[in-house]
Amino acid sequence: MIDARAWTRAALVGSLWGALELSVGSVLHLSRIPLSGMVMSAIGLACLLTLRRLSPVPGVCLVAGAVALVVKVFGIGGLFPGPLIGIGAEALLVELAVTALPRGAAAAMAAGALVFLWGPVQKIAMVRIVAGQDAIDAAIVLGGRAAAAAGLGGVAAGWVVGAAVAALVTVGGIAGWSAWRLGGRVAGRLGVER
Amino acid sequence: MTRRIAGVGLGLAAAATLSGDLRVVAAAAAVAVLSAVVLDPPVARSAVGVAAGLTVALTAAAAGAAVALVEGPARGLLMAGGVVGRVLILWIAAGVLGRRVDADRLVGGARRLGLERLGLVLGLALNALPRLAEAAGEVWMVHRLRSPGRWEAIRRGPRIAEVLLANAVRIGDDAAGAAALRGHGGLAHPRRPALEPPAPVVVVTGPPGCGKTSVIESAAAALRAQGSWPVGITQPGVYARGRKVGFLVRDLATGEEAALAQMVERGKGEHGTSYRFSREGLDHAARALGRAAAGSVLVVDEVGPIELRGDGHMPALRRALATPGLTAVVLVVRRQLVPTLLAALVATEVTLVDVEEDPDSGADRVLRAIAGTG
Repeated sequence: MIDARAWTRAALVGSLWGALELSVGSVLHLSRIPLSGMVMSAIGLACLLTLRRLSPVPGVCLVAGAVALVVKVFGIGGLFPGPLIGIGAEALLVELAVTALPRGAAAAMAAGALVFLWGPVQKIAMVRIVAGQDAIDAAIVLGGRAAAAAGLGGVAAGWVVGAAVAALVTVGGIAGWSAWRLGGRVAGRLGVER
Repeated sequence: MTRRIAGVGLGLAAAATLSGDLRVVAAAAAVAVLSAVVLDPPVARSAVGVAAGLTVALTAAAAGAAVALVEGPARGLLMAGGVVGRVLILWIAAGVLGRRVDADRLVGGARRLGLERLGLVLGLALNALPRLAEAAGEVWMVHRLRSPGRWEAIRRGPRIAEVLLANAVRIGDDAAGAAALRGHGGLAHPRRPALEPPAPVVVVTGPPGCGKTSVIESAAAALRAQGSWPVGITQPGVYARGRKVGFLVRDLATGEEAALAQMVERGKGEHGTSYRFSREGLDHAARALGRAAAGSVLVVDEVGPIELRGDGHMPALRRALATPGLTAVVLVVRRQLVPTLLAALVATEVTLVDVEEDPDSGADRVLRAIAGTG
């Protein structure tokens, strides 16, 4: 980094992300609103991809993620590991996607897809930690029974999982693309890109 | 010593939540409770309180019921017991850790780990939170005022994100600029040796199209009329059908011009721009900058991103800045590059003139700044 702007922008955008996690995230979580995790993932994507678009410096998303984590730690909800792991993983996945792929909307869409896929992976991992493998096995069996009761007994589990993954990748890709566009609008507003 | 042992015990108990053996989990839960009693009694009390009890009971009941349905009640009961132990341990570990984390510890910890910059970033982020909250409040108020109906409020919702992010970035840029002005280089990391002007510096800035070049040319004319000796370059734009298609470079001392850059197809430009630069133009600029001498006022319009990366006019500018006895140095730079320029400057006397504040008085303000520095 030639000057301090990438760092200071990461500080402020990370701070904004953490503050939104604290306020909007807590409200959504406590209200038990469905898909609140996806909403918070989309907010994180918007912050990270805008930051990366304005400051295309490797590592900048990780710095913003660290800042958001710290801000979230001081939240009223205390130190719940789930959201903290989610923030860290989101920053890491976005950083990986936008560093590995050429700068542009495609990288942003890949980042969005990865972030949205991470949600269920983290949930399964948390269930595994808290309840053990037996609970995962039981959930799979119960899911099969529910599918049979709904008349989907003939549908292979692989198809169901594949459809869910495809849906998450699509929604995540759209969220990433929207976040990249938002970054472009912010850049235009600030006169940074021309 | 006891507290240290308790801390290690709590860490081991947290690791034991990964075990599938319920006896290990039960023993770990007991260790966690004992550790909490030693380390932080309020957390131990909260672990047997109503909130923790409800959380543990609900999680254990859900997981136990699922397993009981599939593998029978006995297995479900065992599972529920394991969940009680694991959630209890995690509750205690999170509580003890959470009550020990504060801003100073985090910033200090980052510094102790050799992550000086991360420590500074965390400090800045935490200090900027009130300003961000204030900005968010204003954004929300404006949103409500401009959105009379609920539908209108929803339709304009994405604009809030755009304005909030732009505000955050602006505050970050202000912080970078302020740090550079005060000489704090903790976050800056110049890749090339800094610029060391031997004279006071006037930085003229403003957004694109606000008239920086006109202001500089008026100021140069006034300097000549006063008997001073301005040397250097301006780079007026070349327009076709109202669109900028290139740049000229004008020698301030002689008024001679040469073509410097021409817009080309996307992807075919140089230095990451949409322009192709001419060797003649760069040589013309180098000759103009080479006229710097003792007693002259060196003017460079403009120092752009290419120069700040060390290319373009930068080699000639460095040679010009090495001239002893310059009266003053006037550098024109876009507003968003001010922090970068200030970070690269080793100068104790820098005056900023923002042309946009009042374009009509821009030349006068530049002249006053030069007179004030001289």
